Amino acid sequence: MENEWTLLMIKNSDITVGVIANPASGRDIRRLTAKASVVSITEKANMVQRLLGPLGALGVGRVLMMPDTTGIAAAVRRAVENNQARGRMSWPELVFLDQDLFGGPEDSQTAARLMADVGVRIIVILGGDGTHRVVASSVPDMPLATLSTGTNNVFPDWRESTVTGIATALHATGRVGRDITLRPNKQLRVVLDEREEIALVDACVTRLSHIGARAVWNPETISELFVCFAEADSIGLSSIAAMMEPISRDEPRGAYLRCATDGRQVMAPIAPGVLEPVAVGHFEIMQPDIPYPVYSGHGSIALDGEREIEFRPGQHPEVSLELNGPATLDVPATISAAVESGLMVGWSEQQMSG
Amino acid sequence: MAQSVYAAITGRYDYLINEENDVSETLNREGLLKAYRTMRTIREFEERVHNDFATGEIPGFVHLYAGEEASATGVCMHLNGDDYIASTHRGHGHCIAKGVDPIGMMAEIWGKKTGSCKGKGGSMHIADLAKGMLGANGIVGGGGPLICGTALASKIKGDKTVGVCFFGDGASNQGTILEAMNLATVWNLPTVFVAENNGYAETTSSSWSVACDNIADRASAFGMPGVIVDGFDFFAVYEAAEEAIKRAREGGGPTLIEVKVSRYYGHFEGDQQTYRASGEVQKLREEKDCLLQFRRRVTSNGIADADLDAIDEQVLALIEDSVVRAKADPKPSTEDLLTDVYVSY
Repeated sequence: MENEWTLLMIKNSDITVGVIANPASGRDIRRLTAKASVVSITEKANMVQRLLGPLGALGVGRVLMMPDTTGIAAAVRRAVENNQARGRMSWPELVFLDQDLFGGPEDSQTAARLMADVGVRIIVILGGDGTHRVVASSVPDMPLATLSTGTNNVFPDWRESTVTGIATALHATGRVGRDITLRPNKQLRVVLDEREEIALVDACVTRLSHIGARAVWNPETISELFVCFAEADSIGLSSIAAMMEPISRDEPRGAYLRCATDGRQVMAPIAPGVLEPVAVGHFEIMQPDIPYPVYSGHGSIALDGEREIEFRPGQHPEVSLELNGPATLDVPATISAAVESGLMVGWSEQQMSG
Repeated sequence: MAQSVYAAITGRYDYLINEENDVSETLNREGLLKAYRTMRTIREFEERVHNDFATGEIPGFVHLYAGEEASATGVCMHLNGDDYIASTHRGHGHCIAKGVDPIGMMAEIWGKKTGSCKGKGGSMHIADLAKGMLGANGIVGGGGPLICGTALASKIKGDKTVGVCFFGDGASNQGTILEAMNLATVWNLPTVFVAENNGYAETTSSSWSVACDNIADRASAFGMPGVIVDGFDFFAVYEAAEEAIKRAREGGGPTLIEVKVSRYYGHFEGDQQTYRASGEVQKLREEKDCLLQFRRRVTSNGIADADLDAIDEQVLALIEDSVVRAKADPKPSTEDLLTDVYVSY
């Protein structure tokens, strides 16, 4: 067992993992309207460092990371240099992508494409639903390890990054097979004329004409909602559907609902700290691969909680449920499989550091 | 109206219930046109000062706000005449958005007796207390303590007014701002701190000089909400400011809003901007400009280009008039030196 691991570390030193830490996640107006949590730049940098230990120890040779101008990359680089200066060489080689930065979602998308070009085995994302959505739309076939640093914790995992790092390494090194490490997801595709976007949790049609501050926090502004999944203990817009009929992440269907002032009052936690009634006039199960028309004449569409698309009279957006969304790392299943096959036992301290 | 016509055409009556589709309760057609007029007035004012400063006729320094119009406008649209704002070196936009007369401002910048401060302050000290504008400020980060003062007065008097402190990324590193944010939370003051992060403190990049590195992140250390908005998008600033000002007015305490924005000109006029990439500003003007974005979005939502063009012409005439007057107006006299001072001679 020990020898096998040591060999693996040497043989697979070219195994590469991508890391995208979105500096902008978790900063929107919901801090103000809903007491949503803040994950600081410092904590995001710390989370990346906590990933590097298990990645290096379990045989990942190189980490490709998106640079940024807000200090995450700078803090991680300092930590790597300090680590080397202190003779602790167990972290993987860290390489920052050579890309122009624009301070918007295009940075994460560019990074994801560059990582896919180089052949990373998986990308670890630190962000909210929005960050995961833009990366998934950029590299639809790339497995994603998800870590929540955003506002709503519906799509990504709320998990200690050390543990995600262990499962990421087990996947990247092939010690646990993809049939176990990866779990399929659904997605929504929103089509408006030539434009196509995806959502990983929900697409909400609002009465607000403008993208504005992006978030949707007032139930009175909601007119329609499409959801991929809606778990009973979820937070955010998808909870409206969840409070009527929960839809699991695995089942091949979604849900659609339309608000109406004389509808049934559904109590739902549409934002952190907010439990308010939403008047729902119509609810139906959404079948896959059928384009559902948006009924509202004009407004904006929020993808995973953030208004992204404005539409006006004469434009007719459509929303479809697709079953072939991005594959994500199943951390508990991956580590459980490693434990069951004895992979995590038999290490000595000497071998860890050597 | 447009909605019912649409329903008649499409037959989609089932959703169209008795509710008006609107951006928000306060931002109707009149509000949109007002926002455009304010942003356009700031832009024309600054472009004109930029051109005239180059001729050497304007005394002192000027720091231009062009590019950042959506910030001052999106915030001040929610303020009443008796609410206060504190400003920065780069104060022209805040003045105009708070209702200070551009004709008096132009005269002030030209150092004329008819100016907002009788020609004795110049660009960096334009103030108009009657309009709730506490002044542009020569002290980096000087506005924070001032706004805590007006907000404390408001709280004691119970008059429901709000104080807004505009400051920059440079000021975000000054003790005064940090002390003011602390005090605002401790005293639960009706304040909003608006950090206009234009990327450079004079010539130093904020990505280098601001530790941690979003200014908004510092809010949590003071127990207040901190949000980031796109400063090129009027609607983004407007919505965030609406919530923050409402919160302050209702007694909910202070908020920090970081507006990510960029200035089109140097730190001051004459700054060669060797610290900026060539083409940086051109790209912003073409792709992100707040006025262009605003026009594109409202004209697809019921306001005609002609409505906005008419405002452009009126604003141009106003600014031209302000310059003609400023040039013709008298300078302060020697006797004026001894008035408006603390000590009488």
